[in-house]
Amino acid sequence: MLTEPFVKKYLTEHYGDDAFHTLAGYERAGGFEGLKAAFTRKPDEVIDVVKQSGLRGRGGAGFGTGLKWSFMPKTSDRVKVLVCNGDESEPGSFKDRIIMERGPFQILEGLLIAAWATGAGKSYIYVRGEYKLPIERLRKAVAEMYVRGYLGRGVMGKKGFDHDIVVHSGAGAYICGEETGLLESLEGKKGQPRKKPPFPAQSGAFGLPTTVNNIETFAHVPYILARGVPWFRGFGTEKSPGTTIFGVSGHVERPGLFELPLGTPLSEIIQHAGGVRRGHSIKAVIPGGMSMPVLPPSQLDVKMAEEFLSERGTHLGTGGVMVMDDTTCLVRAMCVIGYFFRDESCGQCTQCREGTGWVHKICERIEAGRGRASDMDLLASIPGMMEGQTICAFADAAAWPLQAMLKHFRGEFEDHIVRGGCSFPESFEL
Amino acid sequence: MPRITVDDQQYEVAEGRTVLQALDDVGVLMNGVDIPHYCWHPKLSIDGSCRLCQVEIEGMPKLQIACNTPVKDGMVVRTQSDKVATARKSVMELLLINHPLDCPICDQAGECKLQDYAFDYGVEHARTDMPRRPAKKATELGPTIVFDQERCILCRRCVRFCREVPGTGELGVFDRGDSSLLELFPGSKLDNAYSMNVADICPVGALTTKDFRFKIRVWFLEDQPSVCNQCSTGCNVSAARANNKVYRYVARRNDAVNDTWICDHGRMSYREFAENRLTRARVGGADAAYDHAVNAAGEALRQVRERGGRVVGVATPFASNEDLWVLRKLLAQLGAEPARFAVPRGPADDILIRDEKCPNAAGARRLGFTESSEPVGRADLAIVLGHTTSCVALAGVENVISIDAHGSELTERAQIVLPARTHAEYEGSFTNWKGRAQRFVPLVEPTFEALPMGAALAQIAAAAGLEGWSEPYDPRRVSSELAGQVEAFAKASLAELGDQGVELPS
Repeated sequence: MLTEPFVKKYLTEHYGDDAFHTLAGYERAGGFEGLKAAFTRKPDEVIDVVKQSGLRGRGGAGFGTGLKWSFMPKTSDRVKVLVCNGDESEPGSFKDRIIMERGPFQILEGLLIAAWATGAGKSYIYVRGEYKLPIERLRKAVAEMYVRGYLGRGVMGKKGFDHDIVVHSGAGAYICGEETGLLESLEGKKGQPRKKPPFPAQSGAFGLPTTVNNIETFAHVPYILARGVPWFRGFGTEKSPGTTIFGVSGHVERPGLFELPLGTPLSEIIQHAGGVRRGHSIKAVIPGGMSMPVLPPSQLDVKMAEEFLSERGTHLGTGGVMVMDDTTCLVRAMCVIGYFFRDESCGQCTQCREGTGWVHKICERIEAGRGRASDMDLLASIPGMMEGQTICAFADAAAWPLQAMLKHFRGEFEDHIVRGGCSFPESFEL
Repeated sequence: MPRITVDDQQYEVAEGRTVLQALDDVGVLMNGVDIPHYCWHPKLSIDGSCRLCQVEIEGMPKLQIACNTPVKDGMVVRTQSDKVATARKSVMELLLINHPLDCPICDQAGECKLQDYAFDYGVEHARTDMPRRPAKKATELGPTIVFDQERCILCRRCVRFCREVPGTGELGVFDRGDSSLLELFPGSKLDNAYSMNVADICPVGALTTKDFRFKIRVWFLEDQPSVCNQCSTGCNVSAARANNKVYRYVARRNDAVNDTWICDHGRMSYREFAENRLTRARVGGADAAYDHAVNAAGEALRQVRERGGRVVGVATPFASNEDLWVLRKLLAQLGAEPARFAVPRGPADDILIRDEKCPNAAGARRLGFTESSEPVGRADLAIVLGHTTSCVALAGVENVISIDAHGSELTERAQIVLPARTHAEYEGSFTNWKGRAQRFVPLVEPTFEALPMGAALAQIAAAAGLEGWSEPYDPRRVSSELAGQVEAFAKASLAELGDQGVELPS
């Protein structure tokens, strides 16, 4: 089990309370105020509130949550579906896990508010297969909700509002965190993203109109409904309101989770994590999970919200901050990143299937001292061949880290080629 | 109807289609508008994964795949811009980094889309000399198909075919990333009635048929449009010929008949042209010159006519519309009853295979022939085409003139035997069960004397001294005569049938 976050705001406020993951504990802490508030409004008004709050998806893409909900067809003769994405497969991300473990009812309440707003009759919570405790806690929470009449026919006594929730365990693939790869996997098929159109809101899980949101996204929703838009906008930035749970890992003194307002400077987040480990200096930081472009130390003043990070050529992603100090060989780091994407590409699209493998092989060759002078141009040309041309964003996610590595640390790659090998101690295995 | 503009040319297209489908509907895809593609196939579900068909669409910042982008009125598509060319180049280069480049020993060379598109859209030089993905070489998927896994570009056409057409689903792509491999599902074999279509749709040399593999280089072959004669569907085929021999059938697209498919049995039927042939005319059990046999047949007919004997005509549903018309004309002139014919039957499915195991039963019916396998009763002379009618049915007949391409019990029993041509050896048409008249053309020339059945009948008629049979047999003339005389065949003259056939009024 993860320890509770070191810095807390509203979302993780009660994560030190060992009863918060039970229905009684959740209600004692003021749970379901958001859902009750939602019930006082018409569904469209709830969507409007979420739109006004400016809540952006916390799964990595940062899409406006209210806007996404509004894509659901208003009328449908088929049941509409919500899917909660708990696959959390991005390396460097471990925030959704603690929400599932410590605050499962926050998620369920968020789902019910979304169900009220969109008219969805069924929800699936898709949880990464390795997350044993989160699955257990969510299943217990769902069971408690049914016993209490908070799920099933007439949710909380609300006539005509029926909702069922199923907790589904994934089987371990990065690509099943991509929303349509998740839907395929949920349907029992090989986890491969779907071409669009059709979009999930037209034809999603089992061909039904579907909205997919991240775990954390749903968990914020009850607070917005209960406490209001101005309160929510009191956190974060104009374009990225609210808090998020930053996960800091790597070469820091105190790795862990930190709930902080969006827009908190990266350097401050690293300070919360105790700073870089003693006696060393920061060499590179991946700001938002492994697929986000790396930043050099000169950029650590950046405010951690999408609008600021994109100005620096990177993205917020999932807010998983990975710190690498001066002992890190970045060619070696790129080998690890390259291997990950090569191994996890679903293999459908030509550019992704072949490009990820090619990148990895070239990086390994350079790290092993067999790099050629021509490898630099070759390596630099591959991301452009992959980016923006595939079914899903995986190829982009695989291309960006390499682009940024070459942009900020090209010299280190060249040095490996000239020197015919790596001068760093072997800090981690390949 | 939405109008779209593709490379400055306007097209009116159907609602609800994607760009590639719409251009295919109009008939310009890879035939005026070049949008190379691998995974997309007109008769399979859209996959969208090869990414080769990316085009520029005005108003969209990124390239879009033409196969899955729905058409919209006013849409402007560019297929030849620099951006598109760069994307194609990337896809081609990436597809080749794990391809063995073994074209010199690959049987697909010459009809390989990887080879063609690499030349047309790819890069000139490889930028990698790294080892290729390890994969299997020349393995058997089942009784008909050989699989060279290392050549596979993972377009998954075969996977979708097996799931969507025969519904058998034997194939899948296993593992992921650049370890992805096409495989059979454990414990299964590719062994269904349509299995060999996967070789037709495989764009590369990964799936080849055991039958055709290594027989001949494809650039020596000449394709001719023909029609399968194994059941009343009449699947359209391309017959590949060289050295006065047919080397294979591949399915030829006809959306009104067989889409782009053919059953394995029909595909393999090209071999029957050469099997068990009647190569010599016979009179009274002894080999005879063709002319001599024709004269003997004419004489037999003349004698029966003179003494007012009964002549019966027996047709075969393997004969062409034109052959059957000649028989009908002859019988009418003799004052004989309409010809009878028997239809061989067998198992059917709800895909392409029909229970009528012959190509032209519908033609025989439309010509007013009587379907029967009952005994013909007592007769002095029977003129018998083919051998779908049994010897038993002809037990009461004194003299049998058999005109057939293949030897049978009947040709053993007949007094006079005339070798006929198979439908690979002359021009004609069949009428399929839906009433579609479809043309076939001569593919090879027999190395012995043999005539189309209609021509043999005409010669016999002339030899019997009947009037109006002096002109040499010409299928085109006969077919226009048929079109002029029989209302049902008014649109079925060979000159007008083209490669896709014509639906006849019922």
